[in-house]
Amino acid sequence: MKFSRSTIVVATVAVLTLATTNVVGAANRTPVARAKMIAHTAIQRGGTLTFNRVQDIVSLDPTQVTDNESIWADESIFEPLFAATPNGKSLVPDMATSYSVSANKLRWTFNLRQGVKFSNGQEMTSADAKFSIERVGAKASNPWTFINSDIASITTPSKFQVVVTTKTPWAPLQADMALFANGVIPNNFAGESATTFWNHPIGTGPFVVQQWLKGSELKLVRNTHYWQAGKPYLNGVNFVTVPDDNTRLLQLESGAAQIDEFPAWSQISELQSKSGITTKLFPSSWTQFLGFNEQYAFFKDVHVRRAISFAIDRAAIVKSVLYGHGTVANSQVTPALWDYNPKNPGLQYNLAQAKKEIALSKYAKGFKVKLLVGSGNQNELTMGQIVQSELAPLGITVTLQEVNGAQENTLQSTSQFQMSFLYDTTDIIDPDELMTFAAVGGSGAQGTHAEFTNYNNPQVDSLVTKAEGVFSQAARIKIYDQIQLILAQDPPMAYLFYQPFAYSFTTKLHGFSVFPTGNYHLENVWLSK
Amino acid sequence: MLLRYVTRRLLLMVPVALGVTLLVFLSIHMVPGSPAYTFLGPHATKNSVAAFNGEWGLDRPLPVQYWLFLDRLVHGNLGESLFYQSSVTSLISSRIPVTLSLLIGGAVLSVIIAVPLAAWAAVKSGKLTDQLIRFFSTAGLGMPSFWIGTTLIILFGLTFPLFPVGGYGNGFWGHVDSMFLPCLTIAISIAPMLLRSLRTSLIDALGSDYVAFARAKGTSARTVLMRYGFRNAAISAVSVLGINIGFLVGGTVIIETVFALPGLGQLMIASILDRDFPIVQGITLIFSVVVILVYLLTDVAYALLDPRVRL
Repeated sequence: MKFSRSTIVVATVAVLTLATTNVVGAANRTPVARAKMIAHTAIQRGGTLTFNRVQDIVSLDPTQVTDNESIWADESIFEPLFAATPNGKSLVPDMATSYSVSANKLRWTFNLRQGVKFSNGQEMTSADAKFSIERVGAKASNPWTFINSDIASITTPSKFQVVVTTKTPWAPLQADMALFANGVIPNNFAGESATTFWNHPIGTGPFVVQQWLKGSELKLVRNTHYWQAGKPYLNGVNFVTVPDDNTRLLQLESGAAQIDEFPAWSQISELQSKSGITTKLFPSSWTQFLGFNEQYAFFKDVHVRRAISFAIDRAAIVKSVLYGHGTVANSQVTPALWDYNPKNPGLQYNLAQAKKEIALSKYAKGFKVKLLVGSGNQNELTMGQIVQSELAPLGITVTLQEVNGAQENTLQSTSQFQMSFLYDTTDIIDPDELMTFAAVGGSGAQGTHAEFTNYNNPQVDSLVTKAEGVFSQAARIKIYDQIQLILAQDPPMAYLFYQPFAYSFTTKLHGFSVFPTGNYHLENVWLSK
Repeated sequence: MLLRYVTRRLLLMVPVALGVTLLVFLSIHMVPGSPAYTFLGPHATKNSVAAFNGEWGLDRPLPVQYWLFLDRLVHGNLGESLFYQSSVTSLISSRIPVTLSLLIGGAVLSVIIAVPLAAWAAVKSGKLTDQLIRFFSTAGLGMPSFWIGTTLIILFGLTFPLFPVGGYGNGFWGHVDSMFLPCLTIAISIAPMLLRSLRTSLIDALGSDYVAFARAKGTSARTVLMRYGFRNAAISAVSVLGINIGFLVGGTVIIETVFALPGLGQLMIASILDRDFPIVQGITLIFSVVVILVYLLTDVAYALLDPRVRL
């Protein structure tokens, strides 16, 4: 049979035309960026930074957010009274220039920076700072209420002076005032309703919101009223949500984005040798550990907790999970924080010692225990399998209890687990937040019962409380050293590893650095042509 | 007749869509995991959790919560997102165009790919051309869509930078530009099934008595193929296409994730993980309506192509 092929040909040509020619607008794209390393001495201004991140932000209101993506984005819009230094060891003035503390250590006077303007041109004053700090604990459901819980009152004796009175002598207050949630916004939302304000918030930070496409992109442009002369260098920043590891990386390679947040651990080594891309592992406050719930009798026995701590080969976990890009932990505190005690040996892998410890316990013949892991969380599943095999020689039979992410979160927060992988990061550089969160039993300001483990060591509680009232950093370090030594011998959890913050970015990006608290100051960042 | 049929099917949509929302409402509330702990983070206390639940009405009995959802629904309000703290309607409406254009574009491209190749294979039935087309369609069936998507990005985004490496683009042409590779990914996933179904039906149709009669009357090969071949073969192909689009509605999340598209699928997954109940219910409602409409359109097309269905 013969017949015309024109029908087939027309349709086929249409497909090929679309596939092989650019539809529209691709003429300006360049081939894959194979940037040459160029020495730049002079800062170049302009350009928009596309910052690919794993998750979307959920809110622009710093008092309402607990997820890191929101927190780190908010910090480009709002600024608190103080800021951490890049190494996370000390604080520098931000919206405040200086402070003094009364003789009884209860009254803190903060002198505000004068001449600072909000992004709407309005001058920042003490009324704005008071309003902003009071908002943090305005509702019981506000997530950061505990940080300001020792504040008794806030007054504004002058236009540029804020006086904070605490209930007890409270050494962490300066660091608390550096928390993102205490970032300054205009008093009474500059006369707008809260809803209107948070759609286009006003802050003193280097950038201001241009558009928020919820779920996909936050577009920021430079704040023309920014108080640091000449900064920011960039015209704008686009925080784009790209959940897939491969797509984030491919966009960086193609030049569509300049920063890839959290490249996959398996890709780090390859990326570190790739031209045109810089991959850095920034020291962080992230400690990963295995929590024991002391509501269960076997974990009340310190020898069981010590035995498990000795039985886990942390180096093997670092190799399997982080592809070697982490460090074995000896404490809940990472070396990036000023209270880290390098002399604390911690309980490290030693199977013979583990067997001795389990023999000393009431459970010398072992027991059965469930380990909570997130389904689909490959890191936790891998760690779970390693723990499972390493506890077998002690007679401890571990069953993995797989649940989805939200359920795992709820079960952890309500202490409904036997063993669980937990982690810590800190939002302020003062040790108090971490210590009260992960070491203090009972219902302290945070009431987490030593991060849901129900560990209760009155000596630790007393030392943490004591440190809160000591104003000399050297004296506080001695207290925290002591706490870390106690926690090493009487572990509420097995400290596994310290995880850095991994970022890949184009070599055309300069001035980008990530602080141990995970945030970044994009006013210092610039792009070379 | 057809109008009555369509009206009846449209009315049937209401209880089906509501039934779907009820099932989803019950299942997501029965699965352990609280939005309060996700929202408040690790520092949540019993008091703050109670305050959060009270503020959002999550401490009320489930029937009351569902009734409030229905009450808002009849007023055109899908409620407020627990996390974004903004209207679910506005969150969803900004994402509908992305997912719809992905589905429509994918369906159109799959037809553009499948129809000529099926015709070619049917006409060359049993010959090398037919074998090659069948081989590639079988290979297409075996390739997972995330792999196809990533391969297309590497090929047409990096090696030959013709299209953007993900994202939705800006402006109409920017969207068209950005959506081509995602739509092609869908098309490559659907086209093999469509192609195989169409090829088989075409071979049957072209071998039938009425086609032999038409040829005997001297009807041109083109007319035979278009009028007698395609029209009859299209009946089964339309069903295959409709069913696949129906499945794709729930499966767009993979394509949206690979291409970083801000569509409904991505929002749905994030909301399920966060237990953002109002968004999950809202998107489920939209998805169920879309699936029902696709099946309805399939049935209507079927009825138009085959008058016997309307008898």
